[in-house]
Amino acid sequence: MKKHLHAPIVLCMLVGPLLSNAQSSAPPSVDTTIASSMNRTLGDVIVVGYGAQSRKAVIGAVTSIKAATIKDRPVASFDQQLQGRAPGVQVSANTGVPGDGIFFRIRGTTSINAGNDPLYVVDGVFINNQSLQKVTTQGQGNNPLADINPADIESISILKDATATAIYGARAANGVVLITTKRGAYNSRPKVGFNTYLGLAWAPELWELVSGPEHATIINEAWVNDGKPFDTRPFRPKSAGGRGLPEEQPTYDRLHDIFRTGGIQNYDLSLSGGNEKTRYYLSGGYNKQLASIKTNDYQRASLKVNLDQQITDRIRVGSSNSLSRSRRTNARVGDGPQGGILQAALHTPTYLPKFNDDGSYAKWAGFDNLDVLIKYTDMNSTSIRYIGNLYAEADILKQLKFRTSWSLDYNDYDEFEYWNSYTNRGSASKGLATSSVSKNTVWVNEQTLSYRNNSQRHAIGVLVGNSIQGNIAQQTWAQGTNFPSDAFKQIASAATTTASSNRAENRQVSFFSRVEYNYEGKYLAEVNFRADASSKFGKDNQWGYFPSLGVAWRAKEEQFLQGIDVISDLKLRANYGLTGNQNGIGNFASRGLWGGGANYLDNPGTIPQQLANPQLGWETTRQWNFGLDLGLLDDRISVEFNWYDKYTSDLLLNLPLPVSSGFRTIASNSGEISNKGLELGINTVNIRTKQFSWQTGFNIARNINRIEKLNIPIDASYSVERMAQGYPMHSFFVYKQLYVDEKTGDAVYDDVTKDGKITAADRQMLGQATPKFFGGLNNTFSYKGFDASIFFNFQYGNKVYNSNRFFHESGGTRDDRRAINKNQLNRWQKPGDVTDVPRITTIGNNYALNPISRFLEDGSFLRLSALTLGYAVPARVANRIHASNIRIYFSSTNLWLLKKYIGPDPEVNVTSDPNVQGYDLGTPPQPRTVQFGLNLTL
Amino acid sequence: MRSTYTILTAVLLSTISCSKFLDVQPEQQVDDSQAITNAGSAETAVNGLYNLLGSDGYYGSNFQALSYLSGGDIQWTGSQSAPQQIANRQLSADNGNVATSWAAIYRTILSANYIIDAIPPLSDPLFTQAKKDQLTGEAYFVRALSYFDLARGWGGVQLILTPTRLPGDHSGIKRSSLTDTYAQVLSDLNKAAQLLPLTTNRNRATRKTAWALKARYFLYQEKWDSAAVYATKVIDDAANYKLAKPYSAFFANNAVATTESVLEIAYSVSFKNGHYNWWLPPALGGRREWAPNAQLVGLLNDPATGGNRNALIGQTAPPGNLWYGKLYYRTPTGTDPAYLIRIAELYLIRAEARAKSGELTTALEDLNAIRDRAGLTTFTEATQAEIILAVEQERRLEFAFEGDRWFDLVRTGRVATVLGVTDKNRQVFPVPADELLADKSLEPNPGY
Repeated sequence: MKKHLHAPIVLCMLVGPLLSNAQSSAPPSVDTTIASSMNRTLGDVIVVGYGAQSRKAVIGAVTSIKAATIKDRPVASFDQQLQGRAPGVQVSANTGVPGDGIFFRIRGTTSINAGNDPLYVVDGVFINNQSLQKVTTQGQGNNPLADINPADIESISILKDATATAIYGARAANGVVLITTKRGAYNSRPKVGFNTYLGLAWAPELWELVSGPEHATIINEAWVNDGKPFDTRPFRPKSAGGRGLPEEQPTYDRLHDIFRTGGIQNYDLSLSGGNEKTRYYLSGGYNKQLASIKTNDYQRASLKVNLDQQITDRIRVGSSNSLSRSRRTNARVGDGPQGGILQAALHTPTYLPKFNDDGSYAKWAGFDNLDVLIKYTDMNSTSIRYIGNLYAEADILKQLKFRTSWSLDYNDYDEFEYWNSYTNRGSASKGLATSSVSKNTVWVNEQTLSYRNNSQRHAIGVLVGNSIQGNIAQQTWAQGTNFPSDAFKQIASAATTTASSNRAENRQVSFFSRVEYNYEGKYLAEVNFRADASSKFGKDNQWGYFPSLGVAWRAKEEQFLQGIDVISDLKLRANYGLTGNQNGIGNFASRGLWGGGANYLDNPGTIPQQLANPQLGWETTRQWNFGLDLGLLDDRISVEFNWYDKYTSDLLLNLPLPVSSGFRTIASNSGEISNKGLELGINTVNIRTKQFSWQTGFNIARNINRIEKLNIPIDASYSVERMAQGYPMHSFFVYKQLYVDEKTGDAVYDDVTKDGKITAADRQMLGQATPKFFGGLNNTFSYKGFDASIFFNFQYGNKVYNSNRFFHESGGTRDDRRAINKNQLNRWQKPGDVTDVPRITTIGNNYALNPISRFLEDGSFLRLSALTLGYAVPARVANRIHASNIRIYFSSTNLWLLKKYIGPDPEVNVTSDPNVQGYDLGTPPQPRTVQFGLNLTL
Repeated sequence: MRSTYTILTAVLLSTISCSKFLDVQPEQQVDDSQAITNAGSAETAVNGLYNLLGSDGYYGSNFQALSYLSGGDIQWTGSQSAPQQIANRQLSADNGNVATSWAAIYRTILSANYIIDAIPPLSDPLFTQAKKDQLTGEAYFVRALSYFDLARGWGGVQLILTPTRLPGDHSGIKRSSLTDTYAQVLSDLNKAAQLLPLTTNRNRATRKTAWALKARYFLYQEKWDSAAVYATKVIDDAANYKLAKPYSAFFANNAVATTESVLEIAYSVSFKNGHYNWWLPPALGGRREWAPNAQLVGLLNDPATGGNRNALIGQTAPPGNLWYGKLYYRTPTGTDPAYLIRIAELYLIRAEARAKSGELTTALEDLNAIRDRAGLTTFTEATQAEIILAVEQERRLEFAFEGDRWFDLVRTGRVATVLGVTDKNRQVFPVPADELLADKSLEPNPGY
């Protein structure tokens, strides 16, 4: 770690030009060979909003992650790679389908209806992260961030507190994720990089269902327990008109029909370099993932061109461009029986045959025949995504710079589905095809003017800027039914067609500024201010103002700490500020509107759609942050600690109205949510010798979320979670099962109202889907040419509602309509049985109430998320083939999972609805993968 | 440098015009003040009103299902717990289907209120008074039906009679008594009858439709004379309304708007009815969430009771052999009509009203008209009590899948005897729990 010795010099070399060059969201040229070998050091320069700062000078809470440290996790999108890597950033994969939605929260949930995702900025481009998917897969939406090839990313900065984020004002209440892509270096020879990995993926665990005979036994037991005569039980001899005795029932395993060993492969080729005036980075990538569940494949081909050109000594222009094509073959893996491939496998009773006696496909209980779905599911989507930025920079004076940039995120999302006559969706309609083309455009124009003096004592930096932005979403949709035969799939051949199109637009205007002051590198202060106006709000409330103030004290620079060698750095930080939110709400949320499409007798009809709220305005989050950065033993131990207190008021909320008004909700500013938390990150260099090193990175965070004010409790979709004052978001609202009476076998529920009856009033808040704490632990080792890393991530204290069990443990009430799980076999059978699974019956409340606490399970887990073993071929061998670096490696993800959850994986959620978390209903589990890879640099 | 100034100037100019920049107008909606402004937009608003009346939450399926599932003849054969509760008559206040129906009915009322409020003062020279009366009359009719359904389902409810333009426009309104709620129904029906033209239209309300609903209204009010009078007004229009023969003629083979129908909601490709999905078995493209139970299958298949009404049910192929209802069967077009008032009902209303009034002979004639159409033997002699019971039995089978049975049994007070629902509180649906949370002025129905 030579660079520590030279840190001040390196810093000057790096920070000097960078800071003077800063204020650009175009990334500074961090020399990767210096910065990448360790996760963080004082020498790091980190990207912040509209600029870059040395870590020493940072006042805000910013976590900077080098892409190199997370690249071995072979998932489709960088957001999933961040899981467990940054304190206070909660990432849940939700599903094992590659390229599907990810739950991503920085410092908790701040909003109910206005969106909780951070702002993503790629090389200065504000990108869209809302799925454009319109043809439903009944589960998670496809993740648009998967369009970005993680291999092109140089570093990711996660901005968390007010000082860090306020420069992004109205977009920043949920934090900001800045992505800097790779660029060439001036005056460097061309460098070719080739990276590849190949591997396998499979589901390590599946659901446990009963056999056919067990299923029949349960149904017969329910019959008898219901008081019906034994002689007429459903599973009696066929000669007596029954379905055959239980022991005669066959068992069909459908789960293993749809889960398989999938595969992953990835290739990235890049060329970078530069001369004294020009630098360039070119790359191409290809990624393919065959999911562990059939018919869910993902492919991405991407192209990246980054260029910077010095035109004169004073003027620079440059451009960042990425173009990608993501192709998915989809399937309906979530809620809903029709076409539901996982539901058909998971919920069809195991005793029911796959084929009828005449050889035709058998269909049961509203589900499709699984073989039909495996063979004929035909859903796909293609996302063509361009993300680009063009900038020009001019040094008006030596210390005064002007910069202008134009950015574009354009996404063309083309979806198609065809259900042939064997499928339930297509059988009656003689084939059903849907085509949907969505186009989303985000464009931004920004100007900044920045000044920075060179005073050592009173360093001052000033930035002012403006930004105008537009977002246009368009969709054209067509559907055809009644096809000549299954050979015809395109809507052109359909006898009946319908079509529609829609378009929506919103715009935003912003002004922003930042003043930094630094006295002798000891006392730092920073003021940010941003004003935003959005077309979404009514004229009177268009503008929102978002200031912040931050200070820091680098105590290590004080005399009294100079002599204490064990402390190599000590910095205290404090800041306060406001940020805003307007995402997620409709483009015209404040207006009273009538909509069309309510037709009658094939004539157009209009109906009231939305109630006016002329007062509608910005949602505002104020945040305190107190932080401590500590370096010990020459920074071999570095500690970052943050305490924050966020309070969001004027929540943009679809407030329930008495529906007697004719409207269910109104967009309003009502309600308040707080998030308070602690974040701790520790990085240590445990052993550092010439040949061997061992480093540890550990982070843990606790976030306490509370709905401080909400006039009316609101039920989230599926009505299992409720938002209510005094409780955290994602709290479960259920009937509490106290026990199963040993004598009668009946479930006893908590009669909260003590009225002797179990009614809707007896439901209670019981735990929440968000963890009490979560984090990650990473250990990396290197010995000569070998390297190894082992990475765990964990969360603790969260609940998951196992809705599969609601269907699978239904005590015989669902007979031939739903499979039964093994846990049902633990039911009460005779007096004295101690169990929480009540007596089987279709009468009474044993299996009629929903949702109940018995299906609310502990979702805590510890996952061995990634394990990597690598070997770098010695330089002399590599040089022989003109390579500067050759590394081969083996890695594995999700190798081990510690959990209590009855189900394959507690990290699941069936829907993209942000207000629903931890709701498991037929969600494919995270795959386990193993892959071999090669890194080659020429 | 100069270019820099140019850019700066451009930036400055762009910000000056920023209020214009931020003025983005919707292209898929209009402001509520522009919704009903002339003859054309008034017409589309009334189209929208029928769309709401026939929406999934109301007559599209949900409201009808509430009644037929409660009626004891339909079994739950699906996976969802909301219909399971209804079929078992174990309703709780958080039942999703109940909440959906309640909301759908009030949404319909809102639309009607807007129309009633906005159309009369319009001064569009192309908008004739006759047309205005017709459209306003249709809104009064739909509002009458909506409050009638709320009254028979939930009891007295909050009467909202003007459009909601701002939140809080109707806050603090208490539930009216059942009597007052029914009084509002009658008042709206009278206005509708006065405004509507005396034409025949099976898909929209006319004066005759208003008479038909009045006949039902007076039956529920046990005003036998009036019920018979209004039933007669429609039945006597034999040129337009007669019993379709055989029974299946009003729905089978894609029939729509037959002479049987006094009012049916029409569906089309741009306004689909998803009702079949709940009834048809998977083999026919549905999910068979519910199905006729053994008792009803037995009655419909018995030539002495069901007659040709066995056309209402079908059975899947072996080994499944599952019985299913096939009144709603048109996949994938979704063009099954929703049957709101059929002429058969008016015969049975009059039969009952006449029987109650002691006019047994004519009551028997009406009853036998229905039995005859179903291919059953006619009754020749019966006591008053027998006739009344026979009418109940005919209604049960005649409207097996049309949401009549539950309300019929509650209306006659026979629900305790027939279904064992002795608790009076349980003879109305619960006021949705979420509504009680959202509206402090709303009182729950006791017992839930």
